[in-house]
Amino acid sequence: MAKVRDIVLMDKPGERVLLLGNEAIARGALEANIAVYAAYPGTPSSELTDTMAMVAQKAGVYMEYSTNEKVAFETALAAAWSGLRAMTAMKHVGLNVAADTFLSAVGMGVEGGFVIMVADDPSMWSSQNEQDTRVYAKFANVPVFEPISPHEAKEMTKYAFELSEKFKHFVLLRTTTRSSHARGDVVLGELPEEIKQGKRKFGEFKKDPSRFVDVPANARRFHPQILEKIEKIREELAECPFNWIEGKEDAKVGIIAPGLAYAYVKEALAWLGVNDVKVLKLGTPFPVPYKLLEKFLEGLERVLIVEELEPVVEEQVKTWVFDKGLTIEIKGKELVPRVYEMTTRRAVTAIAQFLGLETPVDFAKIDEKYEKVKTIAPPRPPSLCPACPHRNSFYAIRKAAGSKAIFPSDIGCYTLGVLPPLKTVDTTVAMGASIGIAHGLSVASGEKQIIVATIGDSTFYHTGLPALANAIYNRSNVLIVVLDNFVTAMTGDQPNPSTGETPHGPGKRIPIEEIAKAMGADFVAVVDPYDIKKTYETIKEALKVKGVSVVVSRQICALHRIGQMRRRGEKWPLYTVNEEKCTGCKICINAYGCPAIYWSEEKKKAQVDPIMCWGCGGCAQVCPFGAFEPIKEGEQ
Amino acid sequence: MKDYNIVITGVGGQGVLTASQILGWAALRAGYKVRVGEVHGMSQRFGSVIAYVRFGEDVYGAMVPEGKADVIMAFEPVEALRYINYLKEGGLVIANSKPIPPVQVSMGLAKYPSMEEIRNIIENEFKAKLIAFDAEELAIKAGHAITTNTVLIGALTQTPEFPLSAEHVKEVIRLSVPPKAVEVNMKAFDLGVQAARELLGL
Ligand SMILES: Cc1ncc(C[n+]2csc(CCOP(=O)(O)OP(=O)(O)O)c2C)c(N)n1
Repeated sequence: MAKVRDIVLMDKPGERVLLLGNEAIARGALEANIAVYAAYPGTPSSELTDTMAMVAQKAGVYMEYSTNEKVAFETALAAAWSGLRAMTAMKHVGLNVAADTFLSAVGMGVEGGFVIMVADDPSMWSSQNEQDTRVYAKFANVPVFEPISPHEAKEMTKYAFELSEKFKHFVLLRTTTRSSHARGDVVLGELPEEIKQGKRKFGEFKKDPSRFVDVPANARRFHPQILEKIEKIREELAECPFNWIEGKEDAKVGIIAPGLAYAYVKEALAWLGVNDVKVLKLGTPFPVPYKLLEKFLEGLERVLIVEELEPVVEEQVKTWVFDKGLTIEIKGKELVPRVYEMTTRRAVTAIAQFLGLETPVDFAKIDEKYEKVKTIAPPRPPSLCPACPHRNSFYAIRKAAGSKAIFPSDIGCYTLGVLPPLKTVDTTVAMGASIGIAHGLSVASGEKQIIVATIGDSTFYHTGLPALANAIYNRSNVLIVVLDNFVTAMTGDQPNPSTGETPHGPGKRIPIEEIAKAMGADFVAVVDPYDIKKTYETIKEALKVKGVSVVVSRQICALHRIGQMRRRGEKWPLYTVNEEKCTGCKICINAYGCPAIYWSEEKKKAQVDPIMCWGCGGCAQVCPFGAFEPIKEGEQ
Repeated sequence: MKDYNIVITGVGGQGVLTASQILGWAALRAGYKVRVGEVHGMSQRFGSVIAYVRFGEDVYGAMVPEGKADVIMAFEPVEALRYINYLKEGGLVIANSKPIPPVQVSMGLAKYPSMEEIRNIIENEFKAKLIAFDAEELAIKAGHAITTNTVLIGALTQTPEFPLSAEHVKEVIRLSVPPKAVEVNMKAFDLGVQAARELLGL
């Protein structure tokens, strides 16, 4: 198993390798001779950005971790204006953040190819909402591609750059969790000379205010131009290699399978043993190429559209059929759920129902049997890591502010503070929202309610900054605790302005306390959450101040630290329970809740799992009886 | 071969994703069309984790459909039970018997089932076979608890009708781990093979 970096840079056209969907897209971008890449991480898009970070310098690509999706979008866009091939990537909600620029700039078009990769998360495995980026494609009149496999994702990336350049238009590459996080066999293509030599490419921005300044007089020209472009692209896509018709030519029944749904349809047909249908595989759910659709519909009496989430293809197909005055029975969302992700089970069930067949296994029976499992398998939600500094911060905040205080929080690992026993997260909405919500709650309560907001470092730079300015300017009365663990932990340990480092060397560190001071916060302090008492006392003090208080709770992410120590072969202290001192009061479990601590029913004592303990010593500070003791070196 | 489907389950941090990648590579090197399905992000933080490894002609998506897994390899007993709906009738579950009680259990908010309860549902309700053994103990015997996943992969290769040879999979592990970890992993693999053969009566 070679390293991802080496595979993605491998100069062996024709070689078959195993790559994650996101890694395959990175390879596709290199094969397309990308020059500039800028993105802010977000599951399930992050591995694309992380792979670009690994290969960029060697391949002569400018790559950055931007501070949010909007600036990432603008960075890549300006490079594309300058004639370079450029790409940005984000999770679905990232496009909401970048939407202002996206929808305003789309009429200006580009010179170099510009590909916007957006990763959706149907079923919300790691997300705060379920949204369908293909709706944005329609909204902005931008073509959207959706791959069925890592190999196709790579090929589509290349094609997307070419299409973008040909029509001077934006192109969306939409994945989902199941295509971004699927590993599959990929055949490597040629790498361009410049990538092989690692030569940075530079562009030139040619001034044209009539195009790049969107005053109304110019913008009025853009809208009709966009509509004209998208119809030309619709024509072009009838010939695109990712759209095709397969199956029985003179079939009476057809199935339309957009994006990854094609994979489930193929499996469902094989599982059902059905082979007398015609299938339209659509790699471009918007715009649906009408020429190809017309050919597909020839001779069909009934059509089923197996589509995940919103009826984007369904509406286009139905509109076209209606306009042509055809009488074909078309079923879609009646048989295919509009919520959550597509599965083979869903495809099998819909197709079986549509064709009047039995499913190959009795899913209802499986569900029935599974009811028993549900009653006896204890839930195992994710939790903060052992030694996570956020746990200590929440513990101290709750103790200092009391349970009557309201705790608006934000998006990051610390969102897990919602779970028992910490329960110090009362609201989360979208990145950066903690501060605005805290301010609004304070206003609503007449500044009487104690409000303690928590926000991570990465989230603070992302969208916390303008919210803090607003709170200070409007003389709010809130405490904001910035949980500064130096990295963007939730999405896989990416650097940000608190880290100071970039993947390619030193960046510039921006200390959060200096920002708070410069903005005029009424109280600013920095604490180490590994010192729980001091953290508690500082929060108490901050709560006495009327106005906006900012406490930066700073300690390196435990997962990051342990990873580094493991690589260096270093050891960390391990804690154990002195059973003579443990009274079985369970404070460590019922108030602190470190996953390394568990309860022994036999002994009626707390125990530490030595494999899970990462040695922060928080338990020793929390236990009123001093029962947690470090194991002596050598006895570990 | 039309398709072979493996479901791998465990607790975030136990090495479920590493195991799925190794099996994916092994299948690729044996010339198969491969899909590995993973979930990154939130669940990796000590939550319940599932991954899928599939290979063969009829494989397109990355997820094993419910009722279609040939085998489940579980790093933890409750996690074997939680995903049992993926297994086909007559399928096999290979599980590490060492429990990791969730925090909710320690807090007294939930109960951890006994191995008998787990076995009962798997064997009597789902008509499957369960072989369970302390893979962590064998890993420690091999030299390090971190090789628990290698022990389990070793055991997995003994599944009746498993399409890849034990030697082939072992070779992929040898090439995948850092040089200084090769020896412990090879030992761990063999211990897993042995344990499974005994339990399966081979
Ligand atoms: C608009 C948007 N972009 C990206 C994400 C993905 N995401 C979830 S949490 C997070 C940041 C976490 O970093 P930080 O605030 O430093 O907290 P940590 O996880 O390190 O505790 C990101 C980028 C998102 N949910 N929404």
